[in-house]
Amino acid sequence: MAVRAIWKGYVHFGSFDVPVKLHTAVREQRVQFHLLHGRDHVRLRQQMVCIHEKVPVPSEEQIRGFELEEGKFIIVDDEELDRIEPEDSRAIEVHEFVKTGQIDPVYLERLYYLGPDVVSPGYDALLEALLEEGLEGICTWTMRKRSYVGTLGARGRVLRLGTLRYSDEVVPAGSLDLPDIELSDRELKAGIDLVNQLSGQFQPENFENEHQKKLQELIDKKASGEKISILRPKRRKATAPDKLLETLEASLKKVV
Amino acid sequence: MALQSIWTGTISFSLVAIPVQLVKAVLPGRVSFRMLHAKDYSPLSREMFCPDEEKIVPSDEIVRGFEIGPEKYIVVTDEELESLSPERSRSIEIVDFIDSDDVDPVYYDRPYYLVPSKSGEKAYGLLVEVMRRTNKAGIAKFVFGEREYLVLVRVTSGALCLVTLHYSDEILSDTGVATEKEGAVSEEKDRMVKTIRDMKAAFKPEKYTNERKRKIVSLLGKKAKKQAPVEAPVIGEETPEGPGDLVAVLQESMRKLKATK
Repeated sequence: MAVRAIWKGYVHFGSFDVPVKLHTAVREQRVQFHLLHGRDHVRLRQQMVCIHEKVPVPSEEQIRGFELEEGKFIIVDDEELDRIEPEDSRAIEVHEFVKTGQIDPVYLERLYYLGPDVVSPGYDALLEALLEEGLEGICTWTMRKRSYVGTLGARGRVLRLGTLRYSDEVVPAGSLDLPDIELSDRELKAGIDLVNQLSGQFQPENFENEHQKKLQELIDKKASGEKISILRPKRRKATAPDKLLETLEASLKKVV
Repeated sequence: MALQSIWTGTISFSLVAIPVQLVKAVLPGRVSFRMLHAKDYSPLSREMFCPDEEKIVPSDEIVRGFEIGPEKYIVVTDEELESLSPERSRSIEIVDFIDSDDVDPVYYDRPYYLVPSKSGEKAYGLLVEVMRRTNKAGIAKFVFGEREYLVLVRVTSGALCLVTLHYSDEILSDTGVATEKEGAVSEEKDRMVKTIRDMKAAFKPEKYTNERKRKIVSLLGKKAKKQAPVEAPVIGEETPEGPGDLVAVLQESMRKLKATK
């Protein structure tokens, strides 16, 4: 069963309004560590400290400054920032529709499930329209005093709202300065054959978080006073550029 | 743009191992503020603090602990963490190639790029070109810091993009989110399809600007004109972090605003 709704609003485009409820889609499970003082295992906390006097500064004595040039600041207070906050709204405003799956994954941030808020034909109609057309909406909305840009998509029987990163938060792949590489037809063919041989279907259930289990075992062992043996990380030897074709062909022999 | 590498190792498939570095694909796009002491504008830094001794604790005295009872901890070292999966902490081994569109985006967590290290350029270029032509992506597991990640390695604009994935037990079911279908919707759907087709476009991420950032930059610009900035006391040889370049930020956002008009 899905978790309860965390926000309510409506999808708006053209002359349509579809009331929706937002549900969390992901719940992370991790072993939680704390930072401790090595000698006595006292749990540490984060504290803002004056860089000159090295003394803790309580939050009521902290102010926020933008560093204009070294050591010179423009002070900005909470009230000024509050005034910048977007106005509350319940509208998820769709601006355009784009082909599904075309957005560079570096923009994708977080997905939520959207359920119908009140029973109306609008929800199912929108779901079917998006699935049939193979499109997703690009939309903006304000939720909990933050403005978002995101996607409105459909999968199975459920609409989804995804948040996107702003373009100034994303490193474009083009800025990585990757060199142009000349590859021979033989190298390419061997590579393509090999990748096809190693292809399968994605079955996420097959991948367990084994590390989490091993970590729990490690903690249990240490708690009962057992000695832990340290294994050094294994490194693989890199394939030399002039051995690439040879290695691809050897790999092919291995898998066929 | 020189990007700092956050991990080095190899990415491999079958017998081929490519030396690579992992770099961030996401930057803080926010206007960053510095916290200051109200009385004299001294910059503050975030430190780990021992509440018992009321002292700052330097990083070499900090250990990682797992709580097994009230104020009882088991200390776990970096070496012990790496020992858990020694074969996975320095190599990303692709175990399966799958169709790029096979992974439901609900699994996506954080994106990074892999870039080739010295002498890895050729094999890297080959993997990119082969995955592009076959429309495949790789599935791998690798250990980074305190966690083992399930990752998707796919091609984006000629680069290898590594996306960490959520494990399937972290994905909540969407059963019950939508109610059972209520009768015929075809008339409403047809009207919607008409509007949707009218609104079809290509996605241009630059079109959507961070309004909050634009407003903060404009507020800062106004304040900088009206009043002189405050000055932090100059003491000793402390070198504060580099100043935020307001002029550059302003120019950049103006350029973006113009570009979207």
